[in-house]
Amino acid sequence: MNGPSDFIFYAAAALTVGSAILVATLPNIIYAAVALLFAFAGVAGLYVFLSADFLAATQVLVYVGGILVLILFAVFLSNRLADVKISNPGHFHLPAAAVCLVLFGVLSYTAVSTPFAVKTAVYLPTTADIGEMLMTRYLLPFEVASVLLLAALIGAALLSRPERGTPEKADMEEGRG
Amino acid sequence: MTPIAMDTGALVRGLYCILPEMVVIGTAILVLLADLLLPEEGKKRLCHLSVAGVAAAILSALWLGPGKIEGFSGMIVHDGMGLFFTLTILAAALLTLMMATGYSEWEGTQKGEFYALILLSTSGMLFMAEGTDLMTVFLGLETLSIPIYCLVGFHRGRMRSLEGAMKYFLLGAFSSGFFLYGIALMYAAAGTTRIPVIASMMRDARLYGNPVFLAGIGLLLVGFAFKVSLVPFHMWTPDAYEGAPTLVTAFMGAAVKAAAFAALLRVVLLTFPAILPAMSGVLWVLAALTMTVGNFSALLQNNMKRMLAYSSIAHAGYILVGLTAGGVAGGQAVLFYVLVYAFMNLGAFGVIMLVAQREDDGYDIDNFAGIGFRYPVLGGLLSLFLVSLAGIPPTAGFVGKFYLFGAAVRSGYVGLAVLGVLNSAVSVYYYLRPVVSMYMAPAPEGIPVPRPPRSAFSFALCASAAAVLLLGVMPASALEFAERSVLSLLM
Amino acid sequence: MGFIDNHILSLMTFLPVLGAAAILCVPRGKDDVIRWIAAAASFLPLVLSVKLLYAFDRSVAGVNVAGQFQFVEHYSWIPSINVEYFLGADGISMPMLILTALLSFLAVIGSFGIEKKVKGYMALFLLLETGMMGVFASLDFFLFYVFWEVMLLPMYFLIGIWGGPRKEYAAIKFFLYTLAGSVLMLLVLLALYFNTTNPETGGHTFNLLHYMAQSTHNGWLKGFDVRILLFLGLFIGFAIKVPLFPFHTWLPDAHVEAPTAISVILAGVLLKMGTYGLMRISFPIFPDVTRWFAVPMAVIGVINIVYGALCAMAQSDLKKMVAYSSVSHMGFVMLGMAALTPTGMVGGAMQMFSHGLITAMLFFLVGVVYDRAHHRQIDGFGGLGAVVPVYTAFVSFAFFASLGLPGLSGFIAEQMVFLGSFDVFRTIVVIAALGIIFVAAFHLWALQRVFLGPLNPKYAALEEINAREVFCLAPLGIIVMYIGVWPMPVISLMNSSLVHLVDLVKAVI
Repeated sequence: MNGPSDFIFYAAAALTVGSAILVATLPNIIYAAVALLFAFAGVAGLYVFLSADFLAATQVLVYVGGILVLILFAVFLSNRLADVKISNPGHFHLPAAAVCLVLFGVLSYTAVSTPFAVKTAVYLPTTADIGEMLMTRYLLPFEVASVLLLAALIGAALLSRPERGTPEKADMEEGRG
Repeated sequence: MTPIAMDTGALVRGLYCILPEMVVIGTAILVLLADLLLPEEGKKRLCHLSVAGVAAAILSALWLGPGKIEGFSGMIVHDGMGLFFTLTILAAALLTLMMATGYSEWEGTQKGEFYALILLSTSGMLFMAEGTDLMTVFLGLETLSIPIYCLVGFHRGRMRSLEGAMKYFLLGAFSSGFFLYGIALMYAAAGTTRIPVIASMMRDARLYGNPVFLAGIGLLLVGFAFKVSLVPFHMWTPDAYEGAPTLVTAFMGAAVKAAAFAALLRVVLLTFPAILPAMSGVLWVLAALTMTVGNFSALLQNNMKRMLAYSSIAHAGYILVGLTAGGVAGGQAVLFYVLVYAFMNLGAFGVIMLVAQREDDGYDIDNFAGIGFRYPVLGGLLSLFLVSLAGIPPTAGFVGKFYLFGAAVRSGYVGLAVLGVLNSAVSVYYYLRPVVSMYMAPAPEGIPVPRPPRSAFSFALCASAAAVLLLGVMPASALEFAERSVLSLLM
Repeated sequence: MGFIDNHILSLMTFLPVLGAAAILCVPRGKDDVIRWIAAAASFLPLVLSVKLLYAFDRSVAGVNVAGQFQFVEHYSWIPSINVEYFLGADGISMPMLILTALLSFLAVIGSFGIEKKVKGYMALFLLLETGMMGVFASLDFFLFYVFWEVMLLPMYFLIGIWGGPRKEYAAIKFFLYTLAGSVLMLLVLLALYFNTTNPETGGHTFNLLHYMAQSTHNGWLKGFDVRILLFLGLFIGFAIKVPLFPFHTWLPDAHVEAPTAISVILAGVLLKMGTYGLMRISFPIFPDVTRWFAVPMAVIGVINIVYGALCAMAQSDLKKMVAYSSVSHMGFVMLGMAALTPTGMVGGAMQMFSHGLITAMLFFLVGVVYDRAHHRQIDGFGGLGAVVPVYTAFVSFAFFASLGLPGLSGFIAEQMVFLGSFDVFRTIVVIAALGIIFVAAFHLWALQRVFLGPLNPKYAALEEINAREVFCLAPLGIIVMYIGVWPMPVISLMNSSLVHLVDLVKAVI
């Protein structure tokens, strides 16, 4: 399994991790959003390597095509945010770094020391199987997910709708005070 | 392409099994629809509708009984323990909604969304408590969390409300990440997400010592620790509790904790015995830290909501003592305590809701000065709930703590039990502070006039008080129910 | 009548709390109704206690023999951990039950003068009485602990709300000390529970009588080191209540700030719970450790006697003086018990009963003068004997009883303590006898400063003691005198039990 496929895998992994680091560290939120785009794309590439064709396509369509665009819209449309120099500064770098290093150490150790049951990838279409599983074995989680989405929709509507009787603007001013 | 084979019988059995959940979700949708039709002044009907729905769900859960019903190819199970937690969660939701009758009018939460979110969150809790597959547990967890994030930030005009919601949301989302990562690692090691299957694999030692699996359990534990606010994953709790509308705070303390502990108990009781030496140490340290930090931080608080927030952290620590002890005795103690805690916590919040006139500084302890004699019933009720939280006989809090620490001694964790007893002695001091303020502090000129409670509100308070006293004096039948429930899980 | 006979201890325990419930239902403003309901709810247990006294068979011992307990009520309460509702009386608990019933009733009558928040006061007081009765009647450790804790909060409120100027400080000090004791007791309770087996069922048990049978002990209870640890845990828990040196510092504060009737209960009944707990629980369960710890206990007892008397002498506040005299007198109880001889043990128990009566009189009397003069400075009076002769007579009587004048009950008790312990600890008893001189000295000195000498003109018109106050004091005085002359009724009440207890402790295991 050496050769170009390995190289591509590592490239995709590096793209994902590198972009993710940029998302977390870039001070400008718009740059961060663009970096997120590359992180999502990298993950889609990894899915391809796992022979998860459906997931890879969904990743591109939903995350890259949908969610990311929404995020960018949200950033651009909130004019209040665009005026202000929005940044995501960090505090407590040292303790956070220490905790993360420990966690990273533990996880890398486990990843290296575990005898994983390696399976040779079989490149077959998975969409039908996923569909069938969702309708049989995983019917309940599938349905619960719909309840979850309903709840999220109601919550989002609740939080974004102007309060009855009070103009949104005054509300926000008060909130920022 | 061959059509998917449908087993109608199994499907119907599955639907039976999630009957209470379906009733609750159905009520939520009905409430949303009714919200469209009802005129502004008729909105209080929404609350009545929600109460009726939860009551129907309780009846349906009772109708299902404690027998074991598995549904959806082992994704969810309605067993004795599921029934116990279902009833606890639904009782907490019922009391919360009854208190909403008055609270909503004062605080402007008389909205369809408010009730719908509480109901959807409740359904998530039920899924979590009855889920036997880590997928179901995770989805339940998310379904319970997302409405709560929104509810915490319900008062968008209040800075504290926004701050609490933001912190809770960010840390909660982060903890969900940990939780999911843990599940993924466990799946990588075991090839399944079904809790009983994992448990049986652990027994025949195929997973024993598998580092990926251990890391997975560890991350899963971190996710749970965030949800039940164990130290050091508790940072969000005081801000979220203080910022949330008080009714939501009460609901969070009672019901969210119950649901999270239900799932944790299922995982711990079934899978941990095999890896106990490794995990019990972790749980020991978490329990000791949580109790101590929670209690000592509570000593410093001057705001009732913050104090009760830290007290809820400390109580999570006490419950964890029972989990550390494990076995039937530990499980029974945890079940009983979660039930008792729901009543005393809701009761205490209910009373302070009536007394405090406004959010934020309305909940300062000084604001309670002189209440005790001017309003003897309210003062007496709050004293009762606080005394029960402190664990002084003859209240239910004492019996609950006795069982938790007793289970710890039985399993040989004497040090932990001693620490717990000392902690609960420390806690008496801060639980007494509001009582001292109510009865002994000189009453200021303008004592705040508590809001006149609606009849459903009064009923909820009296029911909580009766439960706290009854479970304290005659706990035998509830304890037996808890014991049978744990046995049904372990068999 | 069958119901009353079968549940006499339960009735004595729970009638007061029923009274409290009734009081809570009385509408606001009807203070007199509340007072009379409280009086009735505490009078009924007194009537029942008289019935108890007549029905009690003085020939059987009880202590660790289940069959010899009287008025037994035995039901299962929380079956899953074998908690039992187990009440019974023997010679150790009988005097305490009677004392509790008597003092509670008199304290209610003595509290008729309370004007502030009568409803809360009486309800809490009756709850307190239930706790006290329950402690003396229970034979199950869990039940004992529950009643023990039930007393804690009412007492805290009674001091903290109706007390004197520094009531909050005194109340919280009382509470924290007692709570520390309870925590230790709870830990010992857990340890005992998990290291004993019920011989009938094989499960764990809270039954005190099972604990006393050494054959039920296993696990940790086999090791002498652990037994010492458990004994000391219990000992400190009870010592705080007694209070034994050096755990006594809460007592002067609590006594001085508490309202009169609560001081009476505190000194008359609550202090006895510590020594009662030692007799009922510590001694029979850990006889080996008791023998090992006898000398330290005697030393602590003597320190209490001498130190308490010296502190009392130094006080300028009459009530604080009486409070320290309690510390001194409880030292006699400890000394008599530590001797582990029948005479010493009976003397100690006698002193518990007698001191309960005498100290109740003293606190009532201090309350009488405080109600009129609004201060208690010993040097602030003078020559009152000429103004209030009846009151002076009562005070003199109580002081003489307290300093151990022959012919009054205190003398009998202290003499029995000395007789019983002299052969065991000679040096210690000689020092204790010296303490008696100090005890006599501070009483007489205070008597002289308050009642003799030139009249302080400020109090020339001091009101004489009134009928209600005499009603509270007279029964106590009569009993003190009666026992002083003819102590046999009380001694025979507890003799067989205490002799059995001494045998039990002395028997080598």
